[in-house]
Amino acid sequence: MIDAGRMMILLGAMLAGVGLWGVLPGATVRSRLLGAVLAAAGLGLVAAQLPWVGGWVDQSLFTLLAFVAVGSAAAAISLRNPVYAAIWFGMSLVATAGLLLFQGAQFLAVATIIVYAGAILVTFLFVLMLAEPSGRAPYDRQAWEGLVSALSGAFLVGILSLTVARALADPAEVVSPVPVPVTDQDRQAGILAEDHVRRIGQVLFDLPGPAGPNRAPKPGYLIAVEAAGVLLLAALVGAAAIAGRARTPQPDPAPKPHPTHSAGGPRHG
Amino acid sequence: MADREVALLANYLIVGAMLFALGAIGFLSRRNLILMFLCAEMMLQGVSLSLVAFGRFHNDWGGQVLVLLVITVAACEAAIALALIMVLFQRRGTLDVIAWQELREADQPPYVEDQPFEEPEPAAPEWPQLPLAGLRPEIPSEQTDYRPHV
Repeated sequence: MIDAGRMMILLGAMLAGVGLWGVLPGATVRSRLLGAVLAAAGLGLVAAQLPWVGGWVDQSLFTLLAFVAVGSAAAAISLRNPVYAAIWFGMSLVATAGLLLFQGAQFLAVATIIVYAGAILVTFLFVLMLAEPSGRAPYDRQAWEGLVSALSGAFLVGILSLTVARALADPAEVVSPVPVPVTDQDRQAGILAEDHVRRIGQVLFDLPGPAGPNRAPKPGYLIAVEAAGVLLLAALVGAAAIAGRARTPQPDPAPKPHPTHSAGGPRHG
Repeated sequence: MADREVALLANYLIVGAMLFALGAIGFLSRRNLILMFLCAEMMLQGVSLSLVAFGRFHNDWGGQVLVLLVITVAACEAAIALALIMVLFQRRGTLDVIAWQELREADQPPYVEDQPFEEPEPAAPEWPQLPLAGLRPEIPSEQTDYRPHV
């Protein structure tokens, strides 16, 4: 049956959902404040039920990173100004990179910062500034079906957290499907090795790496790397084709004026 | 220390689920095309956290390799999506996704806003009261435009 801890997780997720509905754009200042308090309380309720990952230092580091990641993500979806939203999303990305580093995934943490925060986010900001520099568009100030989407997201988190909590209550259920239990020595020799970056390169390019005692022969990922390269090339050609065609604007055959767009009409183009 | 690894896996799965759900909420409720794509990237971040956590738990490189592929696909998606968004913006002059609502299915009713948004009038700027002395200066019109936000 559902015990107190799982009940608290469900309650916290629902509280956070209602709070998110309050902070989504289109609400008044008071409901935004109340929603922020509710969402933080729900997040705290869920976080209090999670097991500890280690000592004080580890736990506080993880808690800080996780709160920054989730809180900045909530700020990114709830701020009206899209430029601020993109910058908060960058903050969430940095915290996510910290979480990846906490797991020992050094290469991925650095790649996330370089590729996501350095390239993708800056491109988003360029296009945002090109399109709507003032950030006062009416459509940014009103959310679409805020209650339904917030509650469905909270329901998703609640269900997933309940599943994880159920698996935690019976750890044999988690560990038993693994044929040979993975020990810390295996991890130190494998995914947490000192030469992590060289190791991931070997794995990516299908070179024979040192096999641990409990490791089955691993599949190579060379074909996946080649496919990713072809994908990048195709995206490059496609983006150039689309953006190049956009430079000679064709007149829109039938631009139907919509009643909601009387405030912000076409600027140029 | 198997308990610590189980706890680490559980924590990361829940944080990843939260990021995914926040991205889904933003994708459903925001109306700015660019912000919708930002929210899709946020969902990818949540999935990446879960993949890395599973990879560490099972001591398998597959999770991290898959996250690398996710980053590649996200970069491609951003390039294509931004090019498309620029085309859409040049066609309609707005980033609102409702501007393209004639692409909906034939039997769906059009979306009409319940309460049309009223732009609040910005407060009139307070100009300093100076004593009359000399000629009245010509203030360019762009300096008198009051912009309380970025």
